[in-house]
Amino acid sequence: MIFTELRFVLLFVLCWIAFFAVPRRWRSATLAAFGIAFYTIFAGPSVLAIVLLLTLAAYVRAPALLFVIVLVVAKVPDAFLIVPLGLSFLTFELIHVVVERRRGRITEMSLTDLLAFVFFAPARIAGPIKRFPQFRDAVAEAELSGDDVYAGVLRILLGLAKKFLLADVLALTVAESEYVSSMHQAWMVVLAFGLQLFLDFSAYSDIAIGFARTLGIRLPENFNWPYLAANIREFWERWHITLSLWVRDYIFTPLGRALFGTRLRPYPGAIATISYLATFAVVGAWHGLEPRFVLWGLYHGALLAIFNLWRRYVPPSDSRALRALGIVVTFFFVTIGWVPFFLPLEKTTHMWALMFGIAR
Amino acid sequence: MKVRRLLFALLWLALLDFFIPPIVRRAEYARYETGAVYRFENSDLFALGPMVRYLREHPRGPRRRAMFLGNSVVFGYGLEARDALAAQFERLAGDTRVFNAAVNGAENGDSDLVGKAVIDSVDTLYVQLTLRSRARPILGTLIPVDDDDVRRFALDRTDPIEATLRSLLGRVWRLYAVNDRLQAAFFGTSARQYLYLHKRELLLAALGRAPRKAPETPRSAIAVSLSARRDGAPLPSAMLDLAEVAKSHRKRLVILDFQRRVAAADFNAAYAPYAEIVTIDVPPALRFDKQHLTPAGANAVAAALVAHDRERAP
Repeated sequence: MIFTELRFVLLFVLCWIAFFAVPRRWRSATLAAFGIAFYTIFAGPSVLAIVLLLTLAAYVRAPALLFVIVLVVAKVPDAFLIVPLGLSFLTFELIHVVVERRRGRITEMSLTDLLAFVFFAPARIAGPIKRFPQFRDAVAEAELSGDDVYAGVLRILLGLAKKFLLADVLALTVAESEYVSSMHQAWMVVLAFGLQLFLDFSAYSDIAIGFARTLGIRLPENFNWPYLAANIREFWERWHITLSLWVRDYIFTPLGRALFGTRLRPYPGAIATISYLATFAVVGAWHGLEPRFVLWGLYHGALLAIFNLWRRYVPPSDSRALRALGIVVTFFFVTIGWVPFFLPLEKTTHMWALMFGIAR
Repeated sequence: MKVRRLLFALLWLALLDFFIPPIVRRAEYARYETGAVYRFENSDLFALGPMVRYLREHPRGPRRRAMFLGNSVVFGYGLEARDALAAQFERLAGDTRVFNAAVNGAENGDSDLVGKAVIDSVDTLYVQLTLRSRARPILGTLIPVDDDDVRRFALDRTDPIEATLRSLLGRVWRLYAVNDRLQAAFFGTSARQYLYLHKRELLLAALGRAPRKAPETPRSAIAVSLSARRDGAPLPSAMLDLAEVAKSHRKRLVILDFQRRVAAADFNAAYAPYAEIVTIDVPPALRFDKQHLTPAGANAVAAALVAHDRERAP
């Protein structure tokens, strides 16, 4: 884990001291310099790939092209030798910059601000996916505060505890998936994977948020008790929140708007269904350009489309019992969906069959 | 107030650090020198580094020392740790502390590297001969290896800057320096492996229930014969390397050839009394598949090795 490597910790401590020691107008440059040093140490030659992406983002201004290039470089297994660290997250941040500049919402952007945003080390490993205006303002307004340092250190410790005491132990149960032969074992492994993924990923987010907080920079939250969601839409409002917001802003909404200009205009249900499926196919591909990830994305797209249709006919209720039932049902469907996410496609159907007592 | 809490936590850590060395000493002595069965549970290599460091720092123990190296056959795949070959050897030999350092899938290169790292701290190495001479790259970050071996086996190395920083921090923060040794000494493996492997017992203990008692290890009614083949394939280079080291360090190396593949007689004559190849003929009734020993099979092989060693003893 890069966060626990002393090279990272030492670099961050130096960055922290320099950040508060230099005049406020040099803070972005300080973050950029340490970010580039971090990338050079941990990712070596892939800094060049980042420079290429930055150039594309700054001059080509074609978000779709950027996305396709990154999908091919990072997500096709063995496509390239050099895969930059945290490339998927970086791409989404750069696409956000390109789109918002085209929309005129980002008017002023200095090179140092962009470099600080792109190379901000804590969020570079596994998110959260930042937004440029908020990040730039947070850097400019950051103050040295004992409260922030305390809250940041606690958040880092919480993340480390989640990762090493819980997620890594659950990972050993997940590794039993090779030998699963009964319904009980199948459910145990799949439940363990669902918990492990949440704890592991949210631990990385906690640590990133904690490091940034010690600098007085607030990064967006990424998780909010997702397994307590009472429906699938709420799940995506609580799970990998920064990704959900990104795909909402840059895929789902523009696609829905475009479809409203077609012959589908009288059929909003169909527009929503197509938008959900297309958006989550992209989300799946973003996790890995393999059929199993696309299947996982389409599964969630289908769940969201079905829920959207359901909501048209069944209004929301305030009943606690129904909310509890909703939590159980949502957890059930999300858990089933994790199978193609962690197993090769040829083993997915067997695992599902074991879970439902069809296979032995 | 919050800054004060941070300083208070740091003070506690500094105070705790004062007690770390005696805690490590006692826990390691209990783990490595007492009669508790020693094995890398779940074939996890976490405890290898701490064990090798302990042995190198304590080249002599209260009893003679033997180490078993090899793959799942020696590890005792499918067997409780107490039923594996090394544990049964320890019970039968009586006065020897035995370390089962075999792991599933290990090859001759792994045994060569681990054997060389501990050669001065054990009296006898029992090394299972496997098909290939490869080694796991991670061994380069776990145990001391020389540059030739790094090249020969394409081993991983810890980044030099990271290694220097760890060493510097370890000098001022002892808990950081010995955290893996503490885990290995307390649990015999990493804390996470321990939690994973013992979750049922821990749960039963939390509920106030006693765990089930393991059945007694069966003794074998069938004997295993040991011999030295006259003909066969030459000994793999990794094993020859280890034999040379054993000879130069005047230690005993016993190469266990379960597959009866290599020619032993000439080698045994050349390397006596330091290294020898023992060809082991295990009857099918003592295996539960093509290669792995049953508890009775491990018992029979252990008994044969103990008897063989007693014959060889001066």
